[in-house]
Amino acid sequence: MVEQSPQVPMPGSRPGLSNGEMRSLSDEDPCIEVRNLNLFYGESQALKNINLKIPRGRVTAFIGPSGCGKSTLLRCFNRMNDLVDSCRVEGLIRIDEDDIYDKRVDVAALRRRVGMVFQKPNPFPKSIFENVAYGLRLQGVNDKRVLSEAVEKALRGAALWDEVKDRLDDNAFGMSGGQQQRLVIARAIAIEPEVMLLDEPCSALDPISTAKVEELITELKKKYTIVIVTHNMQQAARVSDYTAYLYLGEVVEFDDTRRIFTNPKQKETEDYITGRFG
Amino acid sequence: MIDKSSLGKHISKEFNEEIEDLRERVLSMGGIVEQLLSDAVEALASGRAPDLKEVKAEDRKVNTLEVSIDESIAELIARRQPTASDLRLVLTVSRIIVDLERIGDEAKKVYKMATRLTDARGRHADAFTEAENLGLHVQKMLRGALDGFARMDPEAALRVAREDDKVDREHEEIIRLNMTYMLEDARNIKRAVDLMWAVRALERIGDHARNIGEHTIYMVTGQDVRYVDIARVEEIVRDAQ
Amino acid sequence: MSNTRKWFASGDPWIWMIGGALTVSLLMVIGLIGLIAVRGFGHFWPAELIETKVRTASGEIEIVLGEITDTETLTPLQLQDTDLAGQADGDALTSRAQFKVGNRDVFSSDFRWILEPRRIETRVPDDAIMLERREYGNFYGYLVNIKRDGEVIARGDNAFDELKAMLEKNRAQVDELEHIDRYEIGAINYRLEQARLDERGLEFNRDKISAREYQQRMAEIEAERETARAQYKDLREQRDALMRELNRASVTMRTADGREKEMKLSNLIRATRNNAMSVFEKTGYYLVKFKEFVLGYPREANTEGGIMPAIFGTITMVLLMSIVVTPFGVIAAIYLREYARQGTFLRIVRISVYNLAGVPSIVFGVFGLGFFVYTMGGSIDALFYPERAPQPVFGTPGLLWASLTLALLTLPVVIVATEEGLTRIPRAVREGSLALGATKAETLRRIVLPMAAPAMMTGLILAVARAAGEVAPLMLVGVVKLAPALPIDGEFPFLHLERKIMHLGFHIYDVGFQSPNVEAARPLVYATSLMLLFIIISLNLTAISIRNRLRERFRADSD
Repeated sequence: MVEQSPQVPMPGSRPGLSNGEMRSLSDEDPCIEVRNLNLFYGESQALKNINLKIPRGRVTAFIGPSGCGKSTLLRCFNRMNDLVDSCRVEGLIRIDEDDIYDKRVDVAALRRRVGMVFQKPNPFPKSIFENVAYGLRLQGVNDKRVLSEAVEKALRGAALWDEVKDRLDDNAFGMSGGQQQRLVIARAIAIEPEVMLLDEPCSALDPISTAKVEELITELKKKYTIVIVTHNMQQAARVSDYTAYLYLGEVVEFDDTRRIFTNPKQKETEDYITGRFG
Repeated sequence: MIDKSSLGKHISKEFNEEIEDLRERVLSMGGIVEQLLSDAVEALASGRAPDLKEVKAEDRKVNTLEVSIDESIAELIARRQPTASDLRLVLTVSRIIVDLERIGDEAKKVYKMATRLTDARGRHADAFTEAENLGLHVQKMLRGALDGFARMDPEAALRVAREDDKVDREHEEIIRLNMTYMLEDARNIKRAVDLMWAVRALERIGDHARNIGEHTIYMVTGQDVRYVDIARVEEIVRDAQ
Repeated sequence: MSNTRKWFASGDPWIWMIGGALTVSLLMVIGLIGLIAVRGFGHFWPAELIETKVRTASGEIEIVLGEITDTETLTPLQLQDTDLAGQADGDALTSRAQFKVGNRDVFSSDFRWILEPRRIETRVPDDAIMLERREYGNFYGYLVNIKRDGEVIARGDNAFDELKAMLEKNRAQVDELEHIDRYEIGAINYRLEQARLDERGLEFNRDKISAREYQQRMAEIEAERETARAQYKDLREQRDALMRELNRASVTMRTADGREKEMKLSNLIRATRNNAMSVFEKTGYYLVKFKEFVLGYPREANTEGGIMPAIFGTITMVLLMSIVVTPFGVIAAIYLREYARQGTFLRIVRISVYNLAGVPSIVFGVFGLGFFVYTMGGSIDALFYPERAPQPVFGTPGLLWASLTLALLTLPVVIVATEEGLTRIPRAVREGSLALGATKAETLRRIVLPMAAPAMMTGLILAVARAAGEVAPLMLVGVVKLAPALPIDGEFPFLHLERKIMHLGFHIYDVGFQSPNVEAARPLVYATSLMLLFIIISLNLTAISIRNRLRERFRADSD
């Protein structure tokens, strides 16, 4: 096989995605930049000197054993950790060049830019329509027509429209788990964020629903920068472009997903993804 | 990078056993193929007509092993979804058994030619000696390649790759020699062609052995070294140490 | 393993034990309600009037007429304490019956125990009459004649029908009289009182307004007073005329032992020949009596008539308490759970709140009296009602203070229940809202509070249940045995927070233990208890149905 130049994709391959050539992070446009991040819960340090550049328009997965800090890191990006009293953050996180831990930052506004989907589907005890419209209503949008359009768009975006269009006024709890999770995603994209954080979004779903959500993630990355935390390594391998392996609060390895899953550089990573005890 | 010691470290004991079993069966397949080859070379060199039935039985054994290993691989992928070194190991095994099976076939071919050439020995002794040398060389390569796989030693695999160039040259020599015989006397053509078939098969075996070596390097380093310049391969192997 | 051990290990014994305990509890509850229901409901059923001849200890023959309210069996030993002591017949048991003989104005006592051996002859006379009177309780006896202006207009057999017809006509007039007494004269009194207060207020502010204005206002007040007085005079005359008309007729009755008694017809409510009534008539009578009980005003120191003011007071007070306690409890719970920094201090506060629920209720009553009535009420009077001094307005026990005291008493219940509800809301839902850019307050308002609403309702249900049954503190802060007026009426401002109220719980206590005739009032105690139970249950059912509706609306995964 001849050496391929990145500019000449193989026939039939998607540019920059699976043309066999490993991507390099340095070629990517960073969306979230983490510099020297340290995070403490009281006395104990949960994240140690994290340095990362999360590329724009890609799916980045955080994997690692329980308690390695991957969710904590994810929750730094929309400052969800602020809710924990004892939590202290040092270092710099920039999203589109804005320091999100700056004192002047409006956290609510930040969270509108950085949407989040949680482990368990957490629809509100409202109708399907109101769930999706919630974020817009918060912003003072009450025009029924505007809301309907936005809700339809978001539900279509979450590949849920066809399933629920006839029962928008039903309680969201009547949906299946997978539908609920996609509803939550629709709710998040209704306010058109730039970044989507997914915290183990499929851990409570059955395989078919998982596949649907994964398909949706692939669809969403055309518009959003996506960061996903997952316990399911196969899922990280399936949906992500880049994978970071975290262990004991440190980023052990951050690279192209294909490299991580075929030939990781670090032995710890290797041991983790092949299921060995290190 | 992996080494042999990390193979048995999976949290799942069953997985360890499956991988170990896979490797063992590849090596035993390799053993049979090696025996086949050495028998063939022996036959070619000595001119004694060995029992063809026995050889065929051995070849069948190789084929059966290939199929069963293939099945195990499919099962292992389906059930374990191996990643990284495990994935590379499985892929390598899957490729190596193909090469081994081919080697078996080629050995059988040498064998056939050897049976047809029993009476020709005296006349072209030097060509036969050359062929025997080539055979021994190829045998050594195969042993080295299997050894390299068994020990997960990229250096050994690299040596095999290097040897292949020599084998190719020796092959060229024998061809040339045979050409001379054929030009000398048209009656020699039949025998010379037979011998050339055998030598050709041996050269192919060398190529397969080299493939096995390359697969081993891929397994250990994660770098695909097929069709890659030998100097670059050396570099990769060195980096991996 | 032996069979017994196996049986124990299987857990069956525990299930039996639990089931047994549950059954016992259920039986107790059913027994309690059953007892109250039978005694309470039975009270209104017209009883058989029995006439019996009794040979007294001195050998005389006496005739007794009345209804049997109780019987008991006496052992020979118990018999020693009676006037039959000497005649104890070996081991034989004797029984005695309690007769309600009524005629308190004649006999001085309503009840008599009569020993079975003393009864010579018993009959159930059809023409025995039970007269319900406004004073002195029931009269049992026989009709002699009916008089009008001192002349006999009816006697004998048809006199009873005449009596009934007259009583029917009477009832309309009495109702009118009551209406005049209770409402029209009350309204005029209110206006006069208002005029007096206006005048005093004007005096107070005399230096703040011009002399001319003062004069003018004084004249207005005087005019108002004049019209009110004129109206009062008219009413008075009307009333007196009615009264005279009512007092014209009288009835002469004969007791069983032959004494005659003449009674003003206006004093009578109803005359019935219990023994001659069909079941259908009895049912009609029963319903009328029951309606009178539920909707009527009490008479005769609460031992007769209805309990409407008590029902009304109880409900008003509980509703008012709910209106007060809900916001306070919910706000406190939200602060404790959502905003306060969790730590030792908060834990102490929380424990204190929980323990508050265990403080004896009378202590709350004392606090209510000291703080609400005297301190707060006194201040309000000084600030807003100087013209009424020295008459207190809010500086005396009343509806508002009773409600506030109860609100304080039930506050811990609401706080605990609400906190429980807030804790149960999954963190994921709050985070979901925050992650969409909602502030904490928005999340609280739009997500958390609606989801916690059923828990708040649960708290309120418990609070209502506790408040409606509470009596002790109320005696100190606003409940009286007889309130002159309902707390809600047609006079501005319609809801009179300063008025004293009646309360079912206190009514039970008062009728059962404080009335002049405890024995006669006992059935009323049961009936009132039943009413109290019924009200608590209906208040709770209302709240529960609201809660269930909320639950359905805000159905969460965890439920």
